[in-house]
Amino acid sequence: MTATRRVAGKLGGLLLTLFLASLLVFFSRFLVPGDPIRFLLRGRKPTAEAVAEVTAQYGLDLSPGEQYLRWILGVLQGDFGRSLQYRQDVTAVIGDRLPVTLMLVAMAGAIIVVVGLLLGAVAALNRGRAADRAILIGLTVLGAIPSFVGAIVLIAIFSVQLGWFPSFGSGDGFFDMVRHLTLPSIALAIVFIVLVAKVTRSAMVDQSSREHVEVSTSRGVGRWAVVRRHILRNALGPILTVGGVLVAGLIVASSIVEAAFGLSGIGSLLVQSVDRLDFPVVQAIVLLVVGVFVVMNAIVDVLEPWIDPRSAAGTGAR
Amino acid sequence: MNRTFLRGSVAATAGILSIAALVACSSAASNGAGSDESVEWEITATTAAPSGDIDSFTFASYAEPYSLDYAYAFDYPDNSVLANVCESLLRLNPDYSLSPGLAESFAHPDPMTWVYTIREGVTFHDGSPLTAADAVASMNRHLDPEVGSFWYSVYQNVASIVQTGDREVTVTMTGPDAQFNLGMGGSAGVIESAATLAEKGADYGNSTGGVNCTGPFALDRWESGESITLTRNDDYWDEDLKARSGEVEFVFINDATARVNALKSGSVDGSWMLPMEAVPTLQAAGKGDVLFGLNTAVGSVVVSDLEGPLGDVRVRKALLLAMDRDGILQAALRGIGERTDVMTTESVWQEASDSARTAAFDDVADYEQNLEEAKKLIAEAGAEGAELTYVTAPISNDFSVISQATAAAAKSIGLNVTVETVTPSAYSTLFSDPSAREGVDLFYTSWYLSSPDALEMYSVLRTGDFSNYGNWSDPEFDALVNEAATIDDPVARGALTAKAQQIANEQLPWLPLFEAPISLYLGERITGVQPSVAFLYYPWAATIGAR
Repeated sequence: MTATRRVAGKLGGLLLTLFLASLLVFFSRFLVPGDPIRFLLRGRKPTAEAVAEVTAQYGLDLSPGEQYLRWILGVLQGDFGRSLQYRQDVTAVIGDRLPVTLMLVAMAGAIIVVVGLLLGAVAALNRGRAADRAILIGLTVLGAIPSFVGAIVLIAIFSVQLGWFPSFGSGDGFFDMVRHLTLPSIALAIVFIVLVAKVTRSAMVDQSSREHVEVSTSRGVGRWAVVRRHILRNALGPILTVGGVLVAGLIVASSIVEAAFGLSGIGSLLVQSVDRLDFPVVQAIVLLVVGVFVVMNAIVDVLEPWIDPRSAAGTGAR
Repeated sequence: MNRTFLRGSVAATAGILSIAALVACSSAASNGAGSDESVEWEITATTAAPSGDIDSFTFASYAEPYSLDYAYAFDYPDNSVLANVCESLLRLNPDYSLSPGLAESFAHPDPMTWVYTIREGVTFHDGSPLTAADAVASMNRHLDPEVGSFWYSVYQNVASIVQTGDREVTVTMTGPDAQFNLGMGGSAGVIESAATLAEKGADYGNSTGGVNCTGPFALDRWESGESITLTRNDDYWDEDLKARSGEVEFVFINDATARVNALKSGSVDGSWMLPMEAVPTLQAAGKGDVLFGLNTAVGSVVVSDLEGPLGDVRVRKALLLAMDRDGILQAALRGIGERTDVMTTESVWQEASDSARTAAFDDVADYEQNLEEAKKLIAEAGAEGAELTYVTAPISNDFSVISQATAAAAKSIGLNVTVETVTPSAYSTLFSDPSAREGVDLFYTSWYLSSPDALEMYSVLRTGDFSNYGNWSDPEFDALVNEAATIDDPVARGALTAKAQQIANEQLPWLPLFEAPISLYLGERITGVQPSVAFLYYPWAATIGAR
């Protein structure tokens, strides 16, 4: 199989997955009890004409099939419809909140990669020693902290007590935003650090016991060179796989952290929109997350053979 | 007519609330304040006058406004912002009295006609002058089905709204309706520039379209999901209400704990409607003041099925008699409020006579807890072992306390109550969708009035009304309320309303629990506000300046 055909095949699968996901995302709303118009009116007493008029404005009088067609054709042109709660285009509603979530996920991702890799690598290289044990115990403790608890503790210490960081909001401008998002990104990163560190450690431990590593070591190749050239590089495969899942996971997990820090990102918007039966927004966000997930996995698939040629040759790296 | 059902509600979700509950517990514990300890409170009518003007201040809102379009501004987050930007024909003051607003006067030549004289010398924020045509265009939107106005009920008896003079607007009714004019102090009476309405179309009032009104502040920017910033209107017509602050920023903090943290850390200067469980920690932080003001809301348990066991008035009375409402108030709201047996507060009896007030508040049955009496009534009704369903949602602390307390009270007199918990949005459909109320006997509401007239409360309990959730029907009550609705004289109307209140107190279509004041936090930088639920319609932010 040539690389081009491989990529083309991946792309086809990706589009099919996205199409199926769009069906699922759209039609699942008909399984949810409750009439969006009833919710939109929030206990008000409009005339019957007004109800009919508003229903028509949002296209809710069409059959489900027609509604899907209208929606998906819009989506293909970048139009996700109109938000019921904000009476505004969904793209505008999401566009306003996307930068916060992207920045949050990027900062959390950076923390996760740096801290997770470092802890995992240090543990693996000191396997069985005190440092390894300390890191493992520390990870177990960290892993047991849900992100909302982490958020509460961080706010209590660093914003309310010490006043070093703001307790809510996402700030204006790049540096202000970084300051505002420091605590939230740490809260978001905690659970994922544990995951990355554990995967890193076990992958590296696995690689260290491989024959070629022992051979290299016995030949007198320097320890750092062995770690870099053999252990770390070969361990990257599984770490990367986890990384792909991680990004989509971060977007979803961000809802809790965003709520706790009063950030207006995609996550908190999703939670609100589900609660308010604002289907156009829910559908757009879910499709977005599914899209990110599928694309990240495809990227990992494409990158893997480049990092580890053995997987492309079909010999199986793991 | 106007109501709120979810106090501080819609923003809250199950996930977020669990965080709030957790923090509330831990912070209460660390302060050594037990959760049952009550808070000292008193009503504050006004705070000290500002020592001077201030550049800007920040207020926290528990949710982002859905819209600043006055036709859809129907909830705390929308109205508390809009009240400072847009103005109505009449002005609802902090003491809940009405005075002239954008209409410098009004006339009522016959029971079917209201004539408003539009004030001269008022300009919109874009500089264009206010005209009678603007008033006609703004008011007619409530009648347009395409708009689907939330304030339609105020206009339900309107036949036409036309310009009848240079500065004159005439509203013709299909029948006598004394309530229409009283509604003109709220969002139903807001006047917007006709040109702006035409220009913005469907985007009018949302975060991109914005609004162009006449208030002491103008909408400067709306950062969707984050904040709304208002700037002072230097050309404001009313010298007495010129804004003391150059800017005011509303930040949306959905999470109750995050909001309280922002107040404690001083990064936000104030907030209306505090989570009551946080009041002790805010007071302990000592950086600002927790204040309580005039309210019109009464917390009641709605009886939503009169076909079932609660159809017998003896069972309804027994259930109310079985409740420890002082204890409920203590646990739900830290004791901030008062037990009540009627569905209105004295604040909405503005122009009623003393005798009407006596009839409405003193000559009524007192349902102080009495288990013996309650059990006797249940036995008489033969209702032992009856099954009831109570629906609640994780909205705030008081919702869960009241659901559990109601179930416990019912159990103590031999009724079985099943408490069902639904999502906040499913809960809100109880108020709009009759099918959602099927099989539901009871649910809680905190109901406030938007006009200074108690009749607003009782008009929703007439036979067949949209918000008469249990389909309660009493011909004598209907006749009283229908007659009162046509009476312009507030004293005569008040006398009839008092009789309606007595019937409701006797018949208990809803079970009144308590009335609680509106809460407000003012940080150490600002002062000058009059704490009152009128903050939904009165330009309260204009009076705030430097402490």
